[in-house]
Amino acid sequence: MQRRDRQLGALYALPLGVFLALAFLAPILLVAAFSTMPAKVFSLANLPDFSAYYTVLTQGYWKSVMWSLGMALAATAILFVICWPLAYGMAKVFGRFSLVLTIGVVMTLFVSENIRLFGWVLTLMKGGLIEGYVRHWTGAGFDGLLYNVPIIVFGLCYVYLPFMLFPLAQGIAMVPDDARQAAYDLGATRWQILREIELPLAMPGILVGSLLTFVLAAGAIAETKLLGGQAVIVIAEEVETAFTYGQNWPLGAALAMVLIAIVGGIAIWGIGKADLDRMMGRR
Amino acid sequence: MNLTRRAFTAGLGAAGATSLLPRAARAARETELNILCWEGYNTDDVLGPFRDLHPGATVRAESGTSDPDMINKLRAGEVNVWDLINLNQPWARGQLLPEGLIKPLNKERFLPYFEKMAPEFSDPAYPLAFSPEGELIGMPQRYGPFSFVVNTDKISKEMAEDEGWKIFLDPAMAGRYGILTYDNWNLIHMCLTGDLNPFEPLDEAGFAEFDEVAKTLFKGAKLMTDDLVAMNTALINGEIDAYFTGGTYTASPARLDGLTNVRAVTPKSGPIGGKGGVVWIELTSVVNNPQGSPLAEDFLEFVQKPEICKAVGFAEGTYNPVAQMGDPEVFKLWDADELDAIQWDTLEEEMANSVEYDVVADYDKLMELYTAARRS
Repeated sequence: MQRRDRQLGALYALPLGVFLALAFLAPILLVAAFSTMPAKVFSLANLPDFSAYYTVLTQGYWKSVMWSLGMALAATAILFVICWPLAYGMAKVFGRFSLVLTIGVVMTLFVSENIRLFGWVLTLMKGGLIEGYVRHWTGAGFDGLLYNVPIIVFGLCYVYLPFMLFPLAQGIAMVPDDARQAAYDLGATRWQILREIELPLAMPGILVGSLLTFVLAAGAIAETKLLGGQAVIVIAEEVETAFTYGQNWPLGAALAMVLIAIVGGIAIWGIGKADLDRMMGRR
Repeated sequence: MNLTRRAFTAGLGAAGATSLLPRAARAARETELNILCWEGYNTDDVLGPFRDLHPGATVRAESGTSDPDMINKLRAGEVNVWDLINLNQPWARGQLLPEGLIKPLNKERFLPYFEKMAPEFSDPAYPLAFSPEGELIGMPQRYGPFSFVVNTDKISKEMAEDEGWKIFLDPAMAGRYGILTYDNWNLIHMCLTGDLNPFEPLDEAGFAEFDEVAKTLFKGAKLMTDDLVAMNTALINGEIDAYFTGGTYTASPARLDGLTNVRAVTPKSGPIGGKGGVVWIELTSVVNNPQGSPLAEDFLEFVQKPEICKAVGFAEGTYNPVAQMGDPEVFKLWDADELDAIQWDTLEEEMANSVEYDVVADYDKLMELYTAARRS
């Protein structure tokens, strides 16, 4: 009986499995195959020589990788600090109001990222909403606030806030109030409760939120282009350049594979740590 | 009819499979036209009248964001989809034709149109529209000088023209200019800044000079973007005083809005036979589609009509001169403000100071140096 169950399970999973293989795995395998091709070829009917990886290693592309990962890490850390109190409120304090908050945050996702970022350009630029008003009121203007690294990190935080907030709220909701109260009764300080009760128990939410934010931010490109004025070149930009102006598909594919490997490695490690089953309430 | 669930599912599968059959197996494409183009040819002002002429036909146009992006589509197998492709002049001759992605046009049908064009295109018929073997590979229409753009309230047109590209190397300009990252154009302009001819192979000293120029320019740039609106905005609000890589194509939208202090500049001198400016000229070519639509050449002929020339030249977004303005019938459709937006007053002089945008001889090596300099 159990064997039959398992067979049926495999059978039921087959359509989805085929779909995933075609829609998700096949493109990645194609990119992986292209990354092994000699430079500047446009078909897979060539002998692989892995020269694109040599180019990636020898031409300083690590700088772009580091910028992407560094800014993604910074954005993730900042978002965690910002979102923790907010998520705490949504899970434990606000009650009905958290629905309003949820709708408010989700609504921003209905507007294209580029348009929202361009709104920030108009706000932050010289003669824009902020500098324009300051100059009008005080008579003294200053240079615009755009085109630097902190503003890119700000853009990342702004765009990816929902991806940290909601998993975090979910994670905090998993912390039983009893546990907190018991700790209070036993004389724990607020700091101890945060460190020893809330953070460990909310860890699945923290991990999922951090992973989502980090992975998305590491591949982000619009924030650097629009807000940052390409003050630094991120890896996604290098991939784009290689595929378009560079007309070097293998190099673009190799750069993409490097990013996929790094981010994928971190994601798999993180998911291994997070107990997703528990988070979904199945255990 | 009694349809069992099994029969229904089988039918569904069959229907799905049919849709996977190649287009060739279905109808011939006599009533279909797909155009891959720069923005302009895809507007209703252009497509609407053509659809009226061919009521039964499905005409679609999609605009690309860069020449290489559009070429990638053809390379990735979309030669079966598109019938016309509209790109800047060197790509057709340098990449599309050698790779068999486009095919020659009917000379008898199209050569007469060259006679009505502006002198730059008619006398002799525009050379880059022809393959080395003399086949006609595309029709020119929009064009424009493309060098750099200044805010004339901060930097006078005369000074910019006299100093030319060197103005960007002036230490006083550091932090006062942007780079419009049309990468293939940046390569050309950086070569010109370093007194190099990008269309000839460079030697080691040439590469070293290019590298030096690229690093200096990237270091001094206040911002970089490939968005001309963002760049014009920064120029207008005083964040920058000039931008590297730009021309009538990028300056015209701001100029038509009345901001005529935004001006495209063509250097008076430079390293290529004394010239330092560059001009782009679009060519529209017929894609080598095995099931090509007969409407493709009809459309190419259709866009030679005066009112359609105007619609192409003055499409939403950017405004550009068209070769057909050599014909008085076409020219009279532009009013004074529109002519000022495309800097008609100095166009002839700017064209005379410019060389043709061409295939960059050491593109790969320069691109490598360029991206490395951009990272550092």
